[in-house]
Parts: sequence; structure tokens; C-alpha cells
Amino acid sequence: MDISTVELDRIASDIWSAMLGLTLEPHYDAPVFPPDERVATGIVQITGDFEGAVTIQLTGAKAREVAAVMFAMEPDEIGDEEVSDAVGELANMTGGNVKSTMCGTCQLSLPSVTSGRDYQVSVPGTAVRDRIGMTQDGDLVVITLLMREDA
Amino acid sequence: MKILVVDDSKAMRAIVKRALSTLDRVAGATIIEAVDGKEALGVIEAESPDLVLSDWNMPEMTGIELLQALNEAGSAPTFGFVTSESTPEMHELAKTHGARFLVSKPFTPQALDQALAGAL
Repeated sequence: MDISTVELDRIASDIWSAMLGLTLEPHYDAPVFPPDERVATGIVQITGDFEGAVTIQLTGAKAREVAAVMFAMEPDEIGDEEVSDAVGELANMTGGNVKSTMCGTCQLSLPSVTSGRDYQVSVPGTAVRDRIGMTQDGDLVVITLLMREDA
Repeated sequence: MKILVVDDSKAMRAIVKRALSTLDRVAGATIIEAVDGKEALGVIEAESPDLVLSDWNMPEMTGIELLQALNEAGSAPTFGFVTSESTPEMHELAKTHGARFLVSKPFTPQALDQALAGAL
């Protein structure tokens, strides 16, 4: 399994551009959110020829903005359910494209979404293989590829 | 024309519906929705859509399971997938079961239109 073929930045840029009409820019600093920032995380797991997970993280405000674009509504009309749905779909599309890039026979889980402040995301038995930070209109978006350590 | 959009994501159903609304090819079509394959089976029986646009990976019943169930019942309408997963194996499986196309997410309305051109 050659994970070097996975270009997280290209995958993310294509998704945000085609589905949201938003441009992601490179982020040259450490892809870390301030501890007091509310962060939404969407995650999908991949099993089969490749074992791991893909996460996408964005600020709560950006997640609401993305949901508003997806639902063609104003951000203040968007509820938590819509935000969760939108972040889950971003994770699903990102993970689905990662899977399609490098997997022969793999299964993609349904997405899970969580949000809060100053928390860590871990998938037992996996390690971070790639993590990129990008920005959309100055707001950080972080995408992480985790891979099972014995794979 | 009646089009059924099947996806467990409400956001993606909204995006697919919005893309369809921009296409002359399906202008005036009535768009109906289902949240997974299981619900879609009931909607198809009740509403007899002309076209089904389905996600692949869904709870309760996946898109390919839905297509298989429709084939077994001998009642499959024109069927296409709109999915974030797009391996050659999935294309082959979809084709084997009679799907007319598989549009990969992310997609543009133009990509959807191109797929529909070969199916409608």
C-alpha cells in the first residue's frame, strides 16, 4: 500500500472547490487550533487492504459556514444537526477519495462527528501518517490520515 | 419526470437537488428523497420514480443492496450512483447490477448532466 500517492491537499481542495465553491489555501504554520477554539471533527475509518482513518477538523464557526453553503441558508439559520451532517459529509467525501486513491478492497465506515474545545482525537492502534493544514478565508482546516501501526 | 435522491446526508441531498435544479435536461422534474436504501425501497414502490440517484455507503441498506433488491423484484428504475467512493471494483459492481453511471463526489452539475445524458 503506497500511501505516498495520497495527496490530502489536492483531495481537500477539489472537494471544497467543487462542492462548496470555496478555495483552500496552503497553511505554512503548525496545523494546531488554539485551546480555547471550538473545533468540529469529522472522522471516517477505512478497513481492508488499508487500515486507518481520516479526520477533518475545522472551527465551529467555519463548520456552520460550510453547512450554510451546503444547505443554501444563512449561518444563523443553521442548527447543530445541520452542522454535524455537513462535517460528516466532508469527512465522508475526504475519506472516500483517500480510499479510492489507494485501496483495492476497502470498506469505508459511516462518518462520526464531535465538537468541543481542547480535545485530542485518537483511533486506538493507529498513528498519524500525514497531517496537513489549509486555510479558508483565514480559518484553519486540518486533515489527518491515520494508519494502523501493524499494517 | 420524478427523480428520487437517496442519501443519508441531508446536506448531500440538498446539494444533489440543487445541482439537478440547474439542469435543462431534467427541468420541471419532481425531486423526492429517501435517507437510505431501506426507505428508498418503500418510496420507489409508492412513487415509481423515473430515475434514482443513490449514495453507496448508507446505514440500514447500502446503495448496491438497494439496486440488488430492485433487480430481484424486477422493478429497477433507471439507476445511478452519486458517491464519494469510486474504485474500479465499485464501477464494475455497479455496472454488473445494471447501474447506468457512477458519479464521484466531489462533482459539478456538469458532471452530473453528462452522466444523465447517457442514461435518460
